[in-house]
Amino acid sequence: MTLTVKPPLVRSEGRPWPRTPRRRRGARATPYLFVAPAFACLLAFGIIPIAIAAVVSFTDLNVGGLGNLGAVHFVGLRNYQALFGSSDFWSALGNTALFVVMGVPVIVVVSLAIAIGLNQSQSRLFRALRTFYFLPAVTAVVAIALIWGYLYNSQFGLFNSLLQAVGLPQQQWLSDPWLAKVSVVLVAIWRATGLSIIILLAAQQDIPAEYYEAAALDGAGRWRQTVSITVPLLRFALFFVTVTTLIAWMQFFDEPYVLTQGGPLGATTSISLYIYQQGFQYNAFGFASAASVVLFVLIFAVTAVQLRARRWGR
Amino acid sequence: MKRVLHRTLAVAAALVASAALAACGASASSSGSSGSGPSTLKVWIMGSSGQNFTKLTASFTKSTGIGVDVQAIPWADVDTKLTTAVASGNGPDVMQVGLSELPTFEKSGALMDLSSYLAGHPALDSSNFLDALSTDKLNPPGKVLSIPWISDVRVLFYRTDIFQQAGIQGPPTTWAQLHADAVKLAARGSGKYGYYIPQWDAPLPIEFTWQAGGSVMDPSGKVNFDTPAFRQAVDFYASFYRDKLVPTAADFDQTAGFISGSAPMLISGPYLATSLTGIQGKWAAAPLPTDSTDTSLSAGSTLGVWHTSTKVAAALKLFDFLAQPSTQVAWYKLDGDLPSNKTALSDPSLTSDPTFQIYARQLQNSQLLPLVPTWDTIQTDMLTAVNKIVLTGANETSILNQLDQTVATLQK
Repeated sequence: MTLTVKPPLVRSEGRPWPRTPRRRRGARATPYLFVAPAFACLLAFGIIPIAIAAVVSFTDLNVGGLGNLGAVHFVGLRNYQALFGSSDFWSALGNTALFVVMGVPVIVVVSLAIAIGLNQSQSRLFRALRTFYFLPAVTAVVAIALIWGYLYNSQFGLFNSLLQAVGLPQQQWLSDPWLAKVSVVLVAIWRATGLSIIILLAAQQDIPAEYYEAAALDGAGRWRQTVSITVPLLRFALFFVTVTTLIAWMQFFDEPYVLTQGGPLGATTSISLYIYQQGFQYNAFGFASAASVVLFVLIFAVTAVQLRARRWGR
Repeated sequence: MKRVLHRTLAVAAALVASAALAACGASASSSGSSGSGPSTLKVWIMGSSGQNFTKLTASFTKSTGIGVDVQAIPWADVDTKLTTAVASGNGPDVMQVGLSELPTFEKSGALMDLSSYLAGHPALDSSNFLDALSTDKLNPPGKVLSIPWISDVRVLFYRTDIFQQAGIQGPPTTWAQLHADAVKLAARGSGKYGYYIPQWDAPLPIEFTWQAGGSVMDPSGKVNFDTPAFRQAVDFYASFYRDKLVPTAADFDQTAGFISGSAPMLISGPYLATSLTGIQGKWAAAPLPTDSTDTSLSAGSTLGVWHTSTKVAAALKLFDFLAQPSTQVAWYKLDGDLPSNKTALSDPSLTSDPTFQIYARQLQNSQLLPLVPTWDTIQTDMLTAVNKIVLTGANETSILNQLDQTVATLQK
């Protein structure tokens, strides 16, 4: 596995980019041409759908309305009223918050620890380990769900067999409301750390070796070097990992969808899963759009706060 | 010169990138057109019966020259598939519709009204089909949006060998016996249960309601759970959990549990029987136990024509072929789905099987779920409420009152 993923990590901050001399007008179009495909994608798959969802959220669109737009009516804020009055919505929102609180810090800390560990050596073993840690990130989620479903299964699952073998009581991994939350989060953590590890590993390899040499001359040990050099210089990468992980976890969907379908009794229904159920199982597209607009606003707000916090942190 | 080259390269790069982008958008739509010649019907078959359906229709293609291009849609994807098809306007020619989905399909406008095409097809006459599933019952007045195809009914499955070991004579015939037998079976030890309640099975409390002599529809055609019969059904349902006779794990596998003997008694449809070849001779089916009635759930699937299809005549020929008693018998043998045609249901080659006799008898004694468009949401809310009571020990009265309110709001 090659490590080419390198976000602009330790750009010497504060120094302005070198100023380019004035070019002819044509040349100035070049950057726009490069950005155009990405922007077209963003427009087609990001901005336009969000705008449509915002409009739909004020209507009673359902499957009947899809085929016959004449049957669609504007209902004002009724979807939002119903949404905020729905206990299922609040429960899904609460679950999502809980998933974020359980998952994101663990992912950041664990992937940082593993990335630092993996960076200690370039030997064949460590290179193999990198692939090993990255494997869950590139495995199809359905395969993961199937395997973990079997591991967790209360009738013939491996975990319960192991517990039984050592004489401990068997657990209902996916049926107990609290344990089920932990179970899906565990799978999600296992699946999500791979990418974060690779990013943090790549960032570490950008840290100049001179810093460590200088620190070693000053008598700093491994721990001191990690705390005072590696972690601070990984600031940007850590920020990147935190933001992307947080956004991903606010949209938490795959694991509960395939492992528990949001059960037992909605205990693992995240806000995204709730939107999916309302939209695609009950065909209440207007209502589901209202929920997705709320989720969008939440994610936008959280990300904005983080970006601000980073600016203040400098 | 160098600058010109630089610019050309940049433009080229941008073009390549946009071409790649366009290509990724196009790939999604190109997959649907395979095998749809001028006289080929594109057919959506639900569940995993696609291959068998191709086998079944081979003789039809041979005699009529009409090809059948089958696409199997997993049950879990039906809603999404319908939604995208309605939104894009790209549907098949013919589709199988599960009865629970029928109101949604009818409401979506995806199905063509076939009433003016039926004249030359006596096989499709409403009177040929089971009364419960007759064309008249399944369609809005004056329209024929879909034609009955297969039927389905719930019966009691039990392990004859385990019953014998536990000293139980024959299957339970009343609610009281069902509960008493479950107590005996659960006493076999830890990990052994007396009965199994699938936590995803929303129709079960409804079946119990019917058996208690009630209905979930009030005279005005609205769903109503605020009846003594429904409360009785919930009490009966809850009694199995209260007395620890059923597994509480949501991921308990019905088929595996029945085969291992962990759950030696349960209510299911004929589809269960197709997985029981490994324990042949150790199980039997029986009519549902009675409280004041022994009404079961009947379900099934219909066939409809996509509203924009240009091959209506060919589709009707296919429906005619599928409605023939001989085809329906062949399909039961091939795929295990019960016929909807009355003549096929009394075919001697089927009725010689005692299990089939049970199915056929129970079909006479069964009801459809309410065919209202909000039913999906209502039954999910009902099931969640009932499971909350039995799994978390929530207060029954307050949960059911809340359910009544939700159901009333949904039908406003």
